[in-house]
Amino acid sequence: MPETPIPKLKLSGVSRSFDENLALAPTDIEISEGEFICVVGPSGCGKSTMFNIIAGVLQPSAGRVALDGRDITGKAGEVGYMLQKDLLLPWRTVLDNICLGAILHGRTTRKQRAEGVALANRYGLGDFINHYPAALSGGMRQRVALMRTLAMHRDVLLLDEPFGALDSMTRMAMQKWLLSVWAAEKRTVVFVTHDIDEAIFLADRVVVMSPRPGRIRDILPVTLPRPRGRDVYTSKEFLHLKDQIMTYIYDDGEATDAA
Amino acid sequence: MQLDKQPVWKTILYPLIAFLLVIGIWWVSVIAYDIPRYVMPSPGDVWAHILDDHVALWIGFRVTFKEFIIGFVLGAFSGFAMAVAMDASKTVRGVLYPILIFSQAVPIIAISAALTIWLGFGLAPKLVIVALVVFFPVVVNVLDGLRSVDADLLRLARSMGGNTWSIFRHVKMPATLTPLFSALKLSATFSVTGAVIAEWSASTSGGIGAYLMQANSRLNTSGTFAAIAYLALLGLVAFVLVIAVEHLLTPWRHKPTVPRWSSRFWRN
Ligand SMILES: Nc1ncnc2c1ncn2[C@@H]1O[C@H](COP(=O)(O)OP(=O)(O)O)[C@@H](O)[C@H]1O
Ligand SMILES: [Mg+2]
Repeated sequence: MPETPIPKLKLSGVSRSFDENLALAPTDIEISEGEFICVVGPSGCGKSTMFNIIAGVLQPSAGRVALDGRDITGKAGEVGYMLQKDLLLPWRTVLDNICLGAILHGRTTRKQRAEGVALANRYGLGDFINHYPAALSGGMRQRVALMRTLAMHRDVLLLDEPFGALDSMTRMAMQKWLLSVWAAEKRTVVFVTHDIDEAIFLADRVVVMSPRPGRIRDILPVTLPRPRGRDVYTSKEFLHLKDQIMTYIYDDGEATDAA
Repeated sequence: MQLDKQPVWKTILYPLIAFLLVIGIWWVSVIAYDIPRYVMPSPGDVWAHILDDHVALWIGFRVTFKEFIIGFVLGAFSGFAMAVAMDASKTVRGVLYPILIFSQAVPIIAISAALTIWLGFGLAPKLVIVALVVFFPVVVNVLDGLRSVDADLLRLARSMGGNTWSIFRHVKMPATLTPLFSALKLSATFSVTGAVIAEWSASTSGGIGAYLMQANSRLNTSGTFAAIAYLALLGLVAFVLVIAVEHLLTPWRHKPTVPRWSSRFWRN
């Protein structure tokens, strides 16, 4: 019946106020299956609010969220969600943390745990499945947090500044690793970041947001060929996009605040 | 848990040296100043008394230990349940918190006297006193633990499809273990004191507290000191027991990997 394919994820008129303050103005966006979307914008522009609404842990003041054309507004457990803090359970092993979704739904089967082990092996943490998170480095912990999200078998992954707390070298390694995971797993990714370079390096499209009220300023397609290497950082398209995004963020910002 | 950072022999040897030092100073002072036995017995006199009356002391130790352990577990569990109820409902919290604080203002010895009137001279009033000693710190610490769980973690758990029960079971409850055990460690020795006070109010139970009171009333100083030694031992046992259980229940705090005997250990 539809002429165009149903978008994987669709937000129609989604907004949210806290008391009198409009944290997120009515927002519309359509995201296709397998796309990698990055969202950039200064803090306080409603990025996490938007994610909490998509993840179903925050009710929007208005609007609808649809997954594969199905209304999922206010429904939790439909998409994978990961935050800047790894939020691993210190009293659980790496394997149990990867399998947390299954654990929260009851008992884990041996098959589910074996799947978790396979995931850890595939992405370089096979030797650490019986370790507690405290024994791991920050980068390793974030990888466990992403595996926990992958193990949920959700088509859409929401990653809210997942590498924001890592040092720049670890972050670069994690970006490349994430792209390889994305290529292998064929999931749809929505990725929030403060880092404009990171956004352009990763994304098919960059969503630029502005504050007061939080809203989408523009959506910029990135046509840099994949797989992307270090050389993209110096390419013409990269620099052009970066300039455009900085203009949106800084020139808009100057009008309203000095920070 | 600094105790785990040094080798086991050191954690045992150092307190042992300190202990022997105290005994030595005591002994030397008693001889040097020629203190009469009915004022201050020497360690040798106390030891002789213990050998002489070890059956009665051992029975007393067991009675008081039983009062301690049952009351302690009772107080810990009811304190935990109270904290969970107070965490779940604002109304419950609002109503109970002032009562809880107020109850702490009443001296335990006064409660003890009243309990003897209501509950008689048996085990019951002792259990209640010991439980009361543990109850308050457990409620405060566990409630604090429940309320300080990261809101993002709770949001994440909900986004993963967790329900109230599974999130409580797997996220909130384990987060209370550390504050719970710091409350239990703090109140372990206090609750032994609680048991002794309860025995003084109703001394028919034959515990070490009752033994101490009898020896004291007969000016049997060696007996008094023997009872004090047993109480010190009981306090130590109580504390070590709590630490041992904590060690067993929180392996992640002192080990990099899950113990091999655990069902959570993965074997290929
Ligand atoms: N639970 C909340 N209660 C009140 N205000 C909130 C709440 N969550 C977010 N806000 C406000 O909404 C705005 C957007 O916040 P957020 O979505 O976290 O921004 P971002 O993730 O882009 O930094 C901010 O002004 C913030 O103070
Ligand atoms: Mg945010």
